[in-house]
Amino acid sequence: MRVDMFENIWSYRELFIRGIWVTLALTAVGYIGGFILGLFVGLGKLSKRKWIYYPAKYYVDFFRGTPLLVQILLIHTALIPSLFGHSLGFFVSGSVALMLNSAAYNAEIIRAGIQSIDKGQMEAARSLGMPHNTAMKLIILPQAFRRMIPPLGNELIALLKDSSLVTVIAASDLLYAGKVVAGAYSRFWEPYLTVAILYLILTFIFGKIINMIEKRFSNSYVPSSRKSISSDRRSRTGGDKR
Amino acid sequence: MISVRNLHKSFGDLHVLRGIDYEIKEKEVICVIGPSGSGKSTFLRCMNLLEDITKGEVVIDGVKINDPKTNINDIRREVGMVFQQFNLFPHMRVLDNITVSPIQIRKMNKKEAEELAHQLLKKVGLSDKANAYPEQLSGGQMQRVAIARALAMKPKIMLFDEPTSALDPEMVKEVLDVMKQLAVEGMTMVVVTHEMGFAKEMGDRVLFLDQGILIEEGSPSEIFSNPKNERTKAFFSKIL
Repeated sequence: MRVDMFENIWSYRELFIRGIWVTLALTAVGYIGGFILGLFVGLGKLSKRKWIYYPAKYYVDFFRGTPLLVQILLIHTALIPSLFGHSLGFFVSGSVALMLNSAAYNAEIIRAGIQSIDKGQMEAARSLGMPHNTAMKLIILPQAFRRMIPPLGNELIALLKDSSLVTVIAASDLLYAGKVVAGAYSRFWEPYLTVAILYLILTFIFGKIINMIEKRFSNSYVPSSRKSISSDRRSRTGGDKR
Repeated sequence: MISVRNLHKSFGDLHVLRGIDYEIKEKEVICVIGPSGSGKSTFLRCMNLLEDITKGEVVIDGVKINDPKTNINDIRREVGMVFQQFNLFPHMRVLDNITVSPIQIRKMNKKEAEELAHQLLKKVGLSDKANAYPEQLSGGQMQRVAIARALAMKPKIMLFDEPTSALDPEMVKEVLDVMKQLAVEGMTMVVVTHEMGFAKEMGDRVLFLDQGILIEEGSPSEIFSNPKNERTKAFFSKIL
């Protein structure tokens, strides 16, 4: 490893900073979109109506059963050009692919979270005259979300890392910055290590934030008996299922 | 007020209720007793369609509740239910547990609903717990909140599904006292219970169910001191 190589990398810092922003933006759009879509798909998988259940099930099966890399290429090179006649750029393709993919994983998290709530809660709400959707919104989901927070946090970190796959469609994300430098100098240790460390810093920060949210919500429902969220606890955000 | 006609309920191959006929009149307190697995709870749950009815019908105030055209939510507003496991909403304060349904379903305004909730809490002896969360309450207190929550919808009928079975013995009385008060005020009540003392004292009629069949029915004194059916006698010989 050569120290002067890091000076070269430093001269490319704007490319790396831009890469970080692209990675964060792709992750944010993919995750928020994936969460909202995942909520509907997850609820769909709980539906008793077959015409809702089966599309939701096949959706999850497809997006969990095929590689994200293949999905990105399919969307960027086939789906979007055939819908719009031309490419809409890496950001649209990339964030759509990440969104559709994370929706499938989020759907399973959301479905499991809802199913983990005691069925007496739904019965009590229904017995008070609440329609199913009202009971879901006011009684079941607020309780289920607390249980979903740890796996949803893992999903966020997994997505942040998986977003590096968009490099294949020439997205100027963080990994892409490393590739450019590697190509320019034909040196691989320093640029890719830099990329790895930057990803590590990002996942570490995300992990800390998730940890705080988790602590806030895995605590008691009673405000006064909640533990302080600032006290340290071992992070559990390294988990990844892919 | 409630007519149950030829009520059958099956869970797959398991035939839990095998043709029950019964008429419940207004202001009656009906206690349903019987061995476990006899279908008592299922019978009760059919009355607000928490279990769908396999065959037969339940008519409440002239409305057949298991008619596909009936809006079950409208029926359930008039039929309060208290569960063995309380089923309070853990993410809401006691006050919000009570007001959520009146506000959402009866479209009561918040202030009115909270006033009502405070009245009901007073009635069940928990005026000081309005801002507590369920996890801060004892079992007996939770069950009394559950009763208040059901009453907040101003139901015409109250169903109790073994309301004291999950309680520590020293908390049973506080819940039964609230139920007695309700009975005295003229609430129509159907109570599935193992509390024979309550059935004797407060029941207008006692139903004995076994294996999904209404074996015997009568006033508490008839059923408890002079049961006619062998199965009823066998049941009492085991528990009394």
